[in-house]
Amino acid sequence: MSTPLAFAPITEINQRLRNGDLGAKELINFYRDRIERYGEISKAFISLDTKSALSKAEIIDESFNDDLPLNGIPYACKDLFDVKGLPTTAGSQVLQDNVAQQDAAAIKCMNQAGAICIGKNNLHEFAYGATGENTLYGTVPNPYDQSRLAGGSSSGSAAAVGFGLCAAALGTDTGGSVRAPAALCGLVGFKPTFGRISTQGVIPYSWTLDHVGTLTRSVADAGILFEALVPQPRRIEPESLNNLTIGIPESFFFESCDHEILDRLEALMNFLRLAGANLKSVSMPSMEYTRTVSLTVQMPEALSYHNRYLEQRGHLYSQDFRAGLALGQCLLAEQYIRAKRFIETYRDTMNSIFAEVDVILTPAAPVIAPKIGAIEVTVDGSSEPAGNAITRYTSFFNMTGHPAITIPCGLHSEGLPIGAQLVGKHFGDEQLIDIAQQIESGYDFELPLPDLG
Amino acid sequence: MKKLDKQTLMGIRDQFGSYAWDDAEISELVDPKLGIITGFQELLDQLEVLRKIDLEATPPAGDISSE
Repeated sequence: MSTPLAFAPITEINQRLRNGDLGAKELINFYRDRIERYGEISKAFISLDTKSALSKAEIIDESFNDDLPLNGIPYACKDLFDVKGLPTTAGSQVLQDNVAQQDAAAIKCMNQAGAICIGKNNLHEFAYGATGENTLYGTVPNPYDQSRLAGGSSSGSAAAVGFGLCAAALGTDTGGSVRAPAALCGLVGFKPTFGRISTQGVIPYSWTLDHVGTLTRSVADAGILFEALVPQPRRIEPESLNNLTIGIPESFFFESCDHEILDRLEALMNFLRLAGANLKSVSMPSMEYTRTVSLTVQMPEALSYHNRYLEQRGHLYSQDFRAGLALGQCLLAEQYIRAKRFIETYRDTMNSIFAEVDVILTPAAPVIAPKIGAIEVTVDGSSEPAGNAITRYTSFFNMTGHPAITIPCGLHSEGLPIGAQLVGKHFGDEQLIDIAQQIESGYDFELPLPDLG
Repeated sequence: MKKLDKQTLMGIRDQFGSYAWDDAEISELVDPKLGIITGFQELLDQLEVLRKIDLEATPPAGDISSE
């Protein structure tokens, strides 16, 4: 039985477009109607461009080109990406008049592949935060429970796909901002190797840690988008799961974690063992100071970019982001350099681990989507800020730059999705996608479509 | 290491060519009351621990090269 169109993966939509069962214009109209119905509830979009999208779709329908991998596929992007002629607000009052003169490099790639941008997504202001709260455009809810967060910072991108308002979305990931909301919303979130997808034309948060990533309904869809977004995708020989060595971190990544999430990961590990994979315990670097290292890099870099706006428009920033920038002002240059040297040691250690394993498996997050407005979450009796918990297992891999993908692996008894994270070798993006795809197609987990009411 | 005080941060602001942060924002960094930024002192304490670790000649992380 085919999936309802609103929740159909690109692979299915592609088939229908190519068969002529569905027209590109019809598809845009379909999503436009859904956005009219769910746009306000989901708070997924900051701006829409359906008029231009319809014009592009009309041209595509006149002469459909089968060679383009995303021909006629409607997608959305986080409002950090420049799309020519549309405002790039970054979810902030600061950039209300900032109309893009050119497309970002990633948008150009999507255009070349035939995809159609239908609008730009809500986010945590300037990507500063993992809860997706935004005082200007509203806090983005989770499609599985609208009293809970979609997660961020690519909150609107997750909601746009999760509420069935487009086929896929682009986001950015500085500490987990693609992978974490994807996991909380039952989607696939992929962050490739650092630098493999260009960040040109994307408003930066932290040059050292920013990655462009994708939010999709399936791993296969993530693969199609990735091939469109990188200059030279590699052809690989698919490896069977029974030839793989999968690293399981000895500490940190399975600690202070919701028990049902751990149960789902254990079930996934059993599936992998039965498929013949070798699960090997690995000793990761100490995580005690990794958040400190990350923050010490992030905040001075963010301040350095935002200096261009602070003098004239400083009063338009939200109070919490201003406070973060002020912190960036008060760190010493040697502390920043030292933090970057620690990052180099993390990369070296991880590369040594990847000499012995093909991928590493962790939960995507230690918690299910927190309630909207929750400042802290408690797991196993210990509390931490909601944003820190959401990205606790993802942020390390922004420092090391290894490719990482989160995939759904079940439903929590509270009705929220649970995700697993797979991390691959530098430039092993294609292999990582291939392995994730094998797991997705072989591992039988139940994740119903969200009930949107 | 002594505890950070407001005068130090005001000195950075006024004498280092910094953006003119409000006094209230600087107060928040050393004595958080709004809960917006907590733990700057803790961050500095942790950085002090990291400062004492010898990284030998490890360079700062740069781009990642393929093979």
